[in-house]
Amino acid sequence: MRLRRVLVVVFVILAAIVIQTTLFGRVRVVTPDLVMLVSILFALTRLRTEAVLGLAFVSGLVIDLLGSSLLGLRAIVFTVVAYLAIRTRERAEIGRLATALWVGVLTFVGVVLLVLIGTLFGEAILLGDGALGQLLLVPLTNMVIAALLAPTFVRLVDGDRTSFRYA
Amino acid sequence: MLNRDRSDHALPTLITLLVVGILLMTFDVRLQGGGVVGVMRSGTQTIVSPIQQAASIVVNPVADMIDSLSNVASLREQNVALSAELAEAQAEIVAVQDQIARLELLEQLYSLDIDAEEIGRTVANVIGRPDAFDDAIIIDKGTRDGVVVGQPVIDTNGYVVGRVRSAAPGTATIVPITVSRSGVAVLVGTQVGQLTTQLFTSDMRLDIIVAREPVLAMARVVTSSASSAFPAGLGVGEILHDANPQNGSLTAQVRPFVDPDTLRLVVVLAWPPDPISGVAGDTIPVEEATTTTTLPEGSTTISTVEDVS
Repeated sequence: MRLRRVLVVVFVILAAIVIQTTLFGRVRVVTPDLVMLVSILFALTRLRTEAVLGLAFVSGLVIDLLGSSLLGLRAIVFTVVAYLAIRTRERAEIGRLATALWVGVLTFVGVVLLVLIGTLFGEAILLGDGALGQLLLVPLTNMVIAALLAPTFVRLVDGDRTSFRYA
Repeated sequence: MLNRDRSDHALPTLITLLVVGILLMTFDVRLQGGGVVGVMRSGTQTIVSPIQQAASIVVNPVADMIDSLSNVASLREQNVALSAELAEAQAEIVAVQDQIARLELLEQLYSLDIDAEEIGRTVANVIGRPDAFDDAIIIDKGTRDGVVVGQPVIDTNGYVVGRVRSAAPGTATIVPITVSRSGVAVLVGTQVGQLTTQLFTSDMRLDIIVAREPVLAMARVVTSSASSAFPAGLGVGEILHDANPQNGSLTAQVRPFVDPDTLRLVVVLAWPPDPISGVAGDTIPVEEATTTTTLPEGSTTISTVEDVS
């Protein structure tokens, strides 16, 4: 059971990274941040809080390593967002709309932190053409994906079909 | 409601991870992306790149289809414009072919031996980008194909795209000049300047420290022979508005020829061909910093001089 969950978690993170860097790297019209979304949604599962934070950190670090911006930037941002998600996850369990809004707000906090911390460390790459539009588009897209897939995601990671059912 | 772990070690874990993250950022800044950080980057790329390449086989047709659907109107306009350009280009080719034939004849007559250096080119597909806020480009060619960190990258028209930031056996990451921290030494007419990035726009800022004459709108900006990062004469962009010298210096806006978002194919140049002698001889008013590049084959370590903003 434990091994199965580890394998599922690794697969989910890897899939998010690959889809983010290939499909959504090519299609600039739709711009979610799948890896940040996955880091947030882990907070809704039965994973230990330390594991959720660790997974968020590692996922962010991998994106940092694959990209060109400062190493540790996304690792820090994703960890902070995951911590906020853990502290506020009860609000997401009310219904589908609440889950979507919760993900949208947390993603917005994440991208603002990304730009702020990046700017403090002189990352011009985060402030390129269209960066302001992305500040809104990324949370909106994450909201839509969360509304559609959050319950399925939680059930997949927990390995429990009864998990995360809205009241 | 879910039955979750209620033990609260979240805050100490968060603080520990934040400290580790800040340490990593400090290392990266201090090592300027090299050393252990460079090894970590290429190591991660080595692990992830086979999956990315496999995924891109499935993803590319889907991405192309979505792109075409969202760009139908602009593609039609582009098609008309390109047809006109093609006709002009074909006329130019006829004229150039005539000149080449004449040149070859003269070379034969005078027994000239042209000392032209052939720059190696590696054509690569763009397979993705790290995320929505990182404009770096991931390509499907890496150290296995001779791609080395620091090499210049151009598009299929020969316009400057950027430089290789990191390379793994199967993939490499390119940082476009429009978001790079390093400036580019360029030439406008006969004046040498420095091109740097600006916030929230893809237009770049041209600074000519010793300006003798105005620069005019539509003037072509090309890489300077003073640049150690790019071969001389590559098109970079064009001046947006007329600008006059003020107190001996000049600032102008430049629109780059290349939009990194629309790139599907790029060409990595094996430049300089001889890294030791490839460093430019003449001087320009830019700061210089020394970086180290490691070649994949033969384990030869070389030093190049890089333009710094």
